Amino acid sequence: MSIEIQGLHKRFGHFVALDGIDLTIPAGQLVALLGPSGCGKTTLLRIIAGLEMADCGQILFNGEDASRRQVQDRQVGFVFQHYALFQHMSVFENVAFGLRVRPRARRPSDAQIRDKVHALLELVQLSWVANRYPSQLSGGQRQRIALARALAVEPQVLLLDEPFGALDTKVRKELRRWLRRLHDDLHITSVFVTHDQEEALEVADQIVVMNRGHIEQVGSPQEVYDAPATPFVYQFLGNINLFHSRVHAGWVKVGGLRVQVPEHDAAEHAPAMAYVRPHDIDVLREPEDGDTTLAATISRVSSLGSLVRLELIQAPSGEIAEVEMTRERYAADPLQVGDLVFVKPRQLRVFLYNDPKVESPMHWSGDGDGI
Amino acid sequence: MMFRFRQPSVLPGFGLTLGFTLGYLGLIVLIPLAMAFTQAFHLSWDQFWHTVTAPRVLASYRLTFGAAFLAAVINTGFGFIIAWVLVRYPFPGKRLVDALVDLPFALPTAVAGITLAAIYSSNGWIGHALKPLGIKIAFTPLGVIVALVFISLPFVVRTVQPVLEDLEAEVEEAAASLGADRWQIFWRVIFPAVRPALLTGFTLAFARAIGEYGSVIFIAGNLPMISEITPLLIVSKLEQYDYSGAAAVSVVMLVISFMLLLVINLLQRWSRIRNGWEAVT
Amino acid sequence: MNSSLQPSPVSVTNSEPPLIRRLLLAVALIFLTLFLFIPLAAVFYEALRKGLGVYLAAITDPYALDAIRLTLLSAAIAVPLNIVFGVAAAWAIAKFEFYGKSVLITLIDLPFAVSPVIAGLIYVLLFGAQGWLGPWLAAHDIKIIFAVPGIVLATVFVTVPFIARELIPLMQAQGTEEEEAAMVLGASGWLTFWRITLPNIKWGLLYGVVLCTARAMGEFGAVSVVSGHIRGLTNTLPLHIEILYNEYQFAAAFACASLLTLLALVMLALKALIERYTLKQRWIVTLEETK
Repeated sequence: MSIEIQGLHKRFGHFVALDGIDLTIPAGQLVALLGPSGCGKTTLLRIIAGLEMADCGQILFNGEDASRRQVQDRQVGFVFQHYALFQHMSVFENVAFGLRVRPRARRPSDAQIRDKVHALLELVQLSWVANRYPSQLSGGQRQRIALARALAVEPQVLLLDEPFGALDTKVRKELRRWLRRLHDDLHITSVFVTHDQEEALEVADQIVVMNRGHIEQVGSPQEVYDAPATPFVYQFLGNINLFHSRVHAGWVKVGGLRVQVPEHDAAEHAPAMAYVRPHDIDVLREPEDGDTTLAATISRVSSLGSLVRLELIQAPSGEIAEVEMTRERYAADPLQVGDLVFVKPRQLRVFLYNDPKVESPMHWSGDGDGI
Repeated sequence: MMFRFRQPSVLPGFGLTLGFTLGYLGLIVLIPLAMAFTQAFHLSWDQFWHTVTAPRVLASYRLTFGAAFLAAVINTGFGFIIAWVLVRYPFPGKRLVDALVDLPFALPTAVAGITLAAIYSSNGWIGHALKPLGIKIAFTPLGVIVALVFISLPFVVRTVQPVLEDLEAEVEEAAASLGADRWQIFWRVIFPAVRPALLTGFTLAFARAIGEYGSVIFIAGNLPMISEITPLLIVSKLEQYDYSGAAAVSVVMLVISFMLLLVINLLQRWSRIRNGWEAVT
Repeated sequence: MNSSLQPSPVSVTNSEPPLIRRLLLAVALIFLTLFLFIPLAAVFYEALRKGLGVYLAAITDPYALDAIRLTLLSAAIAVPLNIVFGVAAAWAIAKFEFYGKSVLITLIDLPFAVSPVIAGLIYVLLFGAQGWLGPWLAAHDIKIIFAVPGIVLATVFVTVPFIARELIPLMQAQGTEEEEAAMVLGASGWLTFWRITLPNIKWGLLYGVVLCTARAMGEFGAVSVVSGHIRGLTNTLPLHIEILYNEYQFAAAFACASLLTLLALVMLALKALIERYTLKQRWIVTLEETK
């Protein structure tokens, strides 16, 4: 089932949670709503489910207006962040609940319910916990039971709120892959909320990056990572280096470095921000001709498994930049702290300060806590 | 900005349950309480003032509030020690003692009254022992204090106990590792954490003791000007069909009680802010 | 003190010197003995002082039995009313966000702050012969004050907050996720309440019922004002005790008092049991979550 969202607004008191959301989710896709906490992603998910009502705007399921439909009639499966398993019911009863509460006419027989629940427990590979209670399960098991419970009502849409948020790293990784496989088998239109970019990049077909109640960008993982539409997306996905710069007549100037930026042909002496990913920078021993490099001193070298990260201090400004390279490449020319080097960005993206997409001047924030 | 009375939610039953709650409270509590005020305003201001400041009434305020205050003070001190002992020291029969602390909540006040009168009268177990010392408890203001101490005993214990339980041992260990001795740890680390609960417990005990009737009348002797508490005065005015007088004195007590309730709420909000949301329920 | 097997929650290096510990323990126990244990023992001592015959005669006296019946009746009306009120109030307050919520919570607490005597008085002012509705009630031959309805009303008033107060924080802590989950799965609101909410609050509800029952059966001040003390008709057990006491029938008074004391002890035991049970449950859950 496809989901279409048009002009959605929602506020809580003075807080604007959603500010004009338009989004189309094609049938059968696994979509991630990605953004920092408070960006409205959970509110959007809850509005799709019918757990919140939008102030205005429409939600269409398969082209039909579902905005006024009651939560019970939306045929959605919802997996809550903390699972919301019914503590006083066994795992079996939890999964069976959605079938048992159907009106008598549509309610399956006890035998059918039993078969169905066991099939679902089989699917989530937990048939052996059927008689346990939620408090006796581990976090990962609870998560899978919550999913089985949501699937029991044969939903047209599966909605998951921070599905892996409360789990530790190892279990999270396993469950992530498992969810992806499950989706490939079942092909239910699925939307999940996350603040973890790695999770979104790994699992989703489409990523919807949200910030402050609106959508910054929609695209495949590759698109949002390689071609971020706004500075926010740039900063939120992956590590970045930010250089304060000026754009004039199609050229951006960062310190002694000049790079051509044809998309900003019209700009004249405009202050701008230039973004470079740490792995899109070459480090050279000697300067190149023609203002293509920037002098810097190495202040720190740290080894991160398969990568080596260099911290550099730019010569004139004193600003710090980060460079990542493979271990092999570093081994070919092991740079040391204190070495004078010349950095050359391979790929650089420039946003003007007065661009409407740029909300406010931001500062360098390649803080590396993303991955 | 549009004003909304409540935030929308998919859960049903808001109108029904809130309506029932307000209706019930209105019929059982608020409208009857308003009667005390309307009845009191049958009096002119002079009459009202004269009624609520008559010497006998003033003496009853002094006794009621004075004894309630002293009882709350006594219970704050001993209640803190009891809570401390119950939380921190193992001793045989602790669970039983812990459960019995709530006895004054569960025991009907009339039972408490006749029992305390029996043991603190001059031929009772304790009164007899105190007689040679020249201390008379039953039928004196001291008796009022004893009764009020009994009925308000659990408040401080029960408000302080959970806070002491939640206190992390690590905080004390941190203080010790920084060189604080036991006494400093107590005054600088433990006591400040417990203080809001102690204050709340004190105020609850005080508020409860002010209104107490059943346990006091048996032990107090009820001599006008000496050992007559305000609630008893209200009852005797009522028995003389002086409805307006009873209502006037009630209004004074109600206003003071409401102010105490306000103080309790503010204290609880304050401690909630200090301790984070989870500490106080 | 070293005889106990329970581990102390605070490490030994971090605790007071043994002398101070013993002193504090002694102070606490002496205080409790004077104000709690001796009175408790005294009730039963005084009740049985004149022998078992007098004791049994006192509690099987027809007036005593009438008083017991009325006490049970008023509790049997007041407690269910306050259950419905408590659940409704807690549902509205815990599951929804609205303006004036804290005012409402304060209003629910109001009866705690009102002297029981005043609780009785206001009903006399409302329903008594001289009261607002007095003439109308007299004209329709309805008796509330000095009759059973007045006693029930006064009992309801003083016990209004007990159940609501237990349920509000409990339901606030539980949040709305489980209810929402049930509704997404297709359950109606009513079904969600019965199948999800009620099982989740049953222990808190029971706890509140215990407290409410104890208070309802023991209420003295408020009931005393509205009752009129008519033996066999409007006398509850606490009022019956007062009458016996004032007539110097001490043994009989304490015999009846011992019944109420036993009841109080049963309530305390139930309360302790519920506390232990729910504490254990909570403990298991937190253990699981920290794993």
